[in-house]
Amino acid sequence: MALNRKIGYVDLTTGEVDVQPIPLEARKKYLGGRGLDAYLLYNHTKKGCDPLGPDNVLLISGGLLTATCASATARTHVMAKSPLTGMLGSANMGGFFAPEMAWAGFHHLVIRGKAKKPVYLYVHDGTIEIRDAKHLWGLSTTDTQWAIREELGDEEVKSCVIGQAGENLVRFANVMTGVKNAAGRTGMGCVMGSKNLKAVAARGTMDINIAHPVEALEYNKGFIDQITSAKVNQTQGTLGTPFIWGATNSWGGLRTRNFQLNQLEYADDIEPERLDEIATETIGPHHMTGCFGCQVHCRAQYRIPSGPHAGKYDEGPEYTSQGAFGAEPECRSAETVLTGNHLVDQYGMDNLEVGSLIAWAMELYELGIINKKQTGGLDLRFGNDEALLEMTERIAFRKGWLANALADGGIPASEKIGKNSFDYLIQVKGMSNLHSDERATPALALNIATASRGSDHLRSRPAIDLYHLPEAVLRKIYSSPIPYEGPLSSEHTSYEGKPWQVFWQENCYMAVDCLGICKYHTVFLGATLPNFEDWPKVIYYNTGLEMTPEEIWEAAERCNMLERMFNLREGLARTDLKKGDMLNHRYFDEPCLRGAPGVVGLTIDRKKFKQMVDEFYTHKGLDKTGKPKAATLKRLGLAKEPSHLV
Amino acid sequence: MAVDKRKKSTSESLRNTRTYGKFRCHNPSCMGRLQPEGGQGEVQCPECGMAFRVAWIRPDFPRIRGPVWEVNRKLAEEALKNKEGN
Repeated sequence: MALNRKIGYVDLTTGEVDVQPIPLEARKKYLGGRGLDAYLLYNHTKKGCDPLGPDNVLLISGGLLTATCASATARTHVMAKSPLTGMLGSANMGGFFAPEMAWAGFHHLVIRGKAKKPVYLYVHDGTIEIRDAKHLWGLSTTDTQWAIREELGDEEVKSCVIGQAGENLVRFANVMTGVKNAAGRTGMGCVMGSKNLKAVAARGTMDINIAHPVEALEYNKGFIDQITSAKVNQTQGTLGTPFIWGATNSWGGLRTRNFQLNQLEYADDIEPERLDEIATETIGPHHMTGCFGCQVHCRAQYRIPSGPHAGKYDEGPEYTSQGAFGAEPECRSAETVLTGNHLVDQYGMDNLEVGSLIAWAMELYELGIINKKQTGGLDLRFGNDEALLEMTERIAFRKGWLANALADGGIPASEKIGKNSFDYLIQVKGMSNLHSDERATPALALNIATASRGSDHLRSRPAIDLYHLPEAVLRKIYSSPIPYEGPLSSEHTSYEGKPWQVFWQENCYMAVDCLGICKYHTVFLGATLPNFEDWPKVIYYNTGLEMTPEEIWEAAERCNMLERMFNLREGLARTDLKKGDMLNHRYFDEPCLRGAPGVVGLTIDRKKFKQMVDEFYTHKGLDKTGKPKAATLKRLGLAKEPSHLV
Repeated sequence: MAVDKRKKSTSESLRNTRTYGKFRCHNPSCMGRLQPEGGQGEVQCPECGMAFRVAWIRPDFPRIRGPVWEVNRKLAEEALKNKEGN
């Protein structure tokens, strides 16, 4: 059954491998995926461990439902202490890797130590082998995966790998699988690089016995219908995530020129419909594809239409590449967006971090805080497409003073650049913000300020807040499975009830990350997509594990608290701009200048923001400083951590 | 496990509230429902005056492609001027 997948412990220093079962108690408390990874990270690292040292553990996992009959359970989760933030490192990707690892017998890998020379792991039908990777070092992410398949003589092998950025210890290097699926935040590829671990390859032929197969398949038919009939997923299946970028830009919610503006005007060449045309022209009408077991098919395939990389194949781009190579550096060319997307995919770098840091450097350059000597001769002005792409390549290889500084992440770079450069760095907990502007959306501002891995939209963003849903609909969603009778507002510029929405979404997203499901299959972009009430059936039919919606909620709450406990152990302090639940001053001081009439002029109200954080802490059972109360830890069964269940 | 197959979950019951053929005006102080005619390329909100270019996912499924830049920029500048005046 799905529950008998194992944890593989690998020590790269000694070469020792140990395989252990996952006790049912651990399953019920932490489910799997990101939640159980949070438990493993808290238990297997010590306070203050060096993120790039042998004592940091790298966790790679699938969710509780991975590789079962449940829909879209393709997500692979990667966790470690982050070399970018010094706090929680966590990233999640689609593709086909986690199901393959599950068929090979494993749901979690715990990798510690450091190999003397480059190696890769081969996970195969209950065994884990450490193999030489000297010949793979220096290859791009795609070439690495093909070279492993060739070496093993099996085209069904799935690998998660690092590219040159991970090898060069760029602190926001990705772990990647396929052409563009990226565990692309908090520098998990850098942790792999620090361990001399080039790849983890998996091939499995071990059956996963479904507890109630007939019911599981029958239920999944309805589940698929629920998912594919949602308007948001039909749009995703046509345009991919660029449609979100287009809509966000339309009303003025898009971070532009490193936060100077909130809209990229006349961006017609990089709008989703234009990118769709290019994909159709270069690949054909059926250019949308999907991850394992998913019917949404939100991933476009394309070839770069022109320029020095013309004809090269890639996938995407996603919202984040439109932001990184479009709005942030104020570039308006599809060729630039598609080329930039290709470069970060091949080198294995976080497009979001790359685009944000270069846009930040562009603002510093225009302000005279850095000069042309420091940019290595580049005229790093906004709108300079060539400089943008050149700097992207330089960062991957740490070439030149500025690129080398940026490759260490925003906060260390600001310390090297000096002057008042930090004031312009748009980050939370050391991680750059998504290419969205939250000044008109207090709920989203609270989300990015309090997200566990730093500024992030995939940890607690109530994106449906933008849909102006009737209050009755909001109440139906947000009052289950835990009753809630407090305020809720349909108005997305309001502060009313938003802390509860963020708290609810935090638990919702943690639950799907534990189950291994994609967020497009829950209440992220669509209000009518499955959530807590739907998951008990999927879990029971596929695994036989009986859980109520309330128990799933509590497990998610517990896992979120563990992530917070990890961050507190590593120095989280509520109002610390570098390590806290706090936003850059520009959110409070500089009004939106573009967008809809109801958006221009808005800032986040400092006093109301503080009240939102207070209220959010109350919902979570934290004290005013953001630390869990003793009663909360007792209620969640976390009073005696670390407990070393696994 | 006592799985009640008849009872609809929140997400299943909310499915009936989906509306096709319409979208909301992107002005948060308006959010009026707009319903373009089939194939229409632009639509203007009768309430707040914002204008949008329309794209069609399917013949019965329109979405906002983006603003009509000149129209909406003018509205934004006027709104900003009024807010700064206050």
